[in-house]
Amino acid sequence: MTALLEMDDLHYRYPGSPAPALNGATLRLEAGEKVVLIGRNGSGKSTLLLHSNGILRPQRGQVWVAGQPMSYQQRSLREWRRQVGLIFQHPDDQLFSASVAQDISFGPLNLGLSEEAARQRVAKAAEQCGVTDLLERPTHALSGGEKTRVALAGVLAMEPLVLLADEALANLDPWMRLQLIAIFEHLVAQGKTVLLATHDLPLARTWAGRVVVMDDGRVVADGPPQHIFTDPATLERTGLDCVVAQAGNRIDSIDR
Amino acid sequence: MQLIDRYAYANRLRNIDPAQKTALAVLVIGLCLLLNRPAVGLVATAWMGGLTVVRAGVPWAVVGRVLLAEGLFLVLAVVGVALSFSTSPPPPPFRSFQVGALWIGGNPASFSLAGLLVSRALGCAAAMNFLALTTPLMDLVHLLRQLRMPPVLIDLICVMYRFVFILLERMQRMHTAQQSRLGYATRRAALRSSGLLASRLFVDAYQRSTRMQTALESRGYTGDLRVLPLNYRYDARLSVLGAAVGSSLLLVWGFS
Ligand SMILES: Nc1ncnc2c1ncn2[C@@H]1O[C@H](COP(=O)(O)OP(=O)(O)O)[C@@H](O)[C@H]1O
Ligand SMILES: [Mg+2]
Repeated sequence: MTALLEMDDLHYRYPGSPAPALNGATLRLEAGEKVVLIGRNGSGKSTLLLHSNGILRPQRGQVWVAGQPMSYQQRSLREWRRQVGLIFQHPDDQLFSASVAQDISFGPLNLGLSEEAARQRVAKAAEQCGVTDLLERPTHALSGGEKTRVALAGVLAMEPLVLLADEALANLDPWMRLQLIAIFEHLVAQGKTVLLATHDLPLARTWAGRVVVMDDGRVVADGPPQHIFTDPATLERTGLDCVVAQAGNRIDSIDR
Repeated sequence: MQLIDRYAYANRLRNIDPAQKTALAVLVIGLCLLLNRPAVGLVATAWMGGLTVVRAGVPWAVVGRVLLAEGLFLVLAVVGVALSFSTSPPPPPFRSFQVGALWIGGNPASFSLAGLLVSRALGCAAAMNFLALTTPLMDLVHLLRQLRMPPVLIDLICVMYRFVFILLERMQRMHTAQQSRLGYATRRAALRSSGLLASRLFVDAYQRSTRMQTALESRGYTGDLRVLPLNYRYDARLSVLGAAVGSSLLLVWGFS
């Protein structure tokens, strides 16, 4: 079976930086997976995600989408970014337009869709993210949670097969987080793959079907949450042991 | 600015074609400049202020406050026209009084010229206020696009407008943080703090623009910010009112 998205042995060093940010990172995502990516600050999560849709180009290694090796020509980048959607921690970095509806329409129009088709995509994505009522509002008058949902709608309007979110749930209140997770659930139910990079361990334990741990530019552990959170070697390596010790009881109950 | 912007998005003329509102404002400005009688400017001010309050539903207090600020500014600006300053008493048609060694004087002609200037400028200002308080920038940008303004300039305006609010918010937060550490306790500290704030804001804007570039590329950005046009309504009553405004200004001019 070919993976939906495959990043194979990626190496990347930022210009002018002494140590590599990615040092042989490998990750395969299949259709319909719910993945949580964890790791200390600076372990390379964001850098890995920036490779997933061709923003960064690995100095060594190869990215595959649906069995196709990706090239960095303008035309294939467009197709690539249609299939792999990326959202970031700060919605203000993504929303460039003062009009919510116009901002969401940006991706679909870049795919070369007609205005009519783009309009339908906007309506559908807004509905999916619960922002239909906000379409006429100015972007800067939205709350943080509303901005996050609009940013998500802007990506979903491109109808990606894989959605990767880089700490997009940080800074949200618990209720808003539940709303976003419900949206992610819905995407997974449609056969799409969702990966969340997060420091939210309870979420990793309860929501994820698979937890991937990064350290030092590499994927150091990968498996179902009950394995990851009970393997002492992995926990120590990623500095998670202290947190997990506190929450030990809950993990035991998940195990059973 | 934030106040004006808020009403621009939330008034009863929001969905009216920006071309129509702009045409009305341009008509009134044109007539104010062409018909040089003080009464014309005053009537125009009354009309445009009234339309902003009654048709657009912007509160009196807001319209009044904006107009008052502009009025004060205008009065200060025409002091030099109305009054003349000299070291000796001016000749008869002037009425004058003495402050120390200085004679301050004015004659009827200079007073009426100053009055004409103020009323004319006030009429123009009221027309501009009408446009600013009823039409968000995105709508004006839409109009500029229809008028075939170069797309690069339009994209620049859009992104700058969005950044103004992002930076404003950031600036307020940094200012609060500085205040809570006594950054503005003395005049010296205040000077230093505001310098730091400005330089920090610059770095911040730069980093933010890099992140925005990344986020836009993820959504298929290749050089132009194409978004859906907005849908507008044509308001026949506004056109009728516009005709009434125009003819009343002509009448006032004829009779004064
Ligand atoms: N723009 C950049 N320039 C130079 N180094 C960077 C840049 N972004 C990240 N790094 C470095 O790359 C490493 C991985 O960072 P990152 O991928 O952001 O980690 P994470 O998202 O897991 O916190 C870190 O050592 C970081 O300092
Ligand atoms: Mg990161």
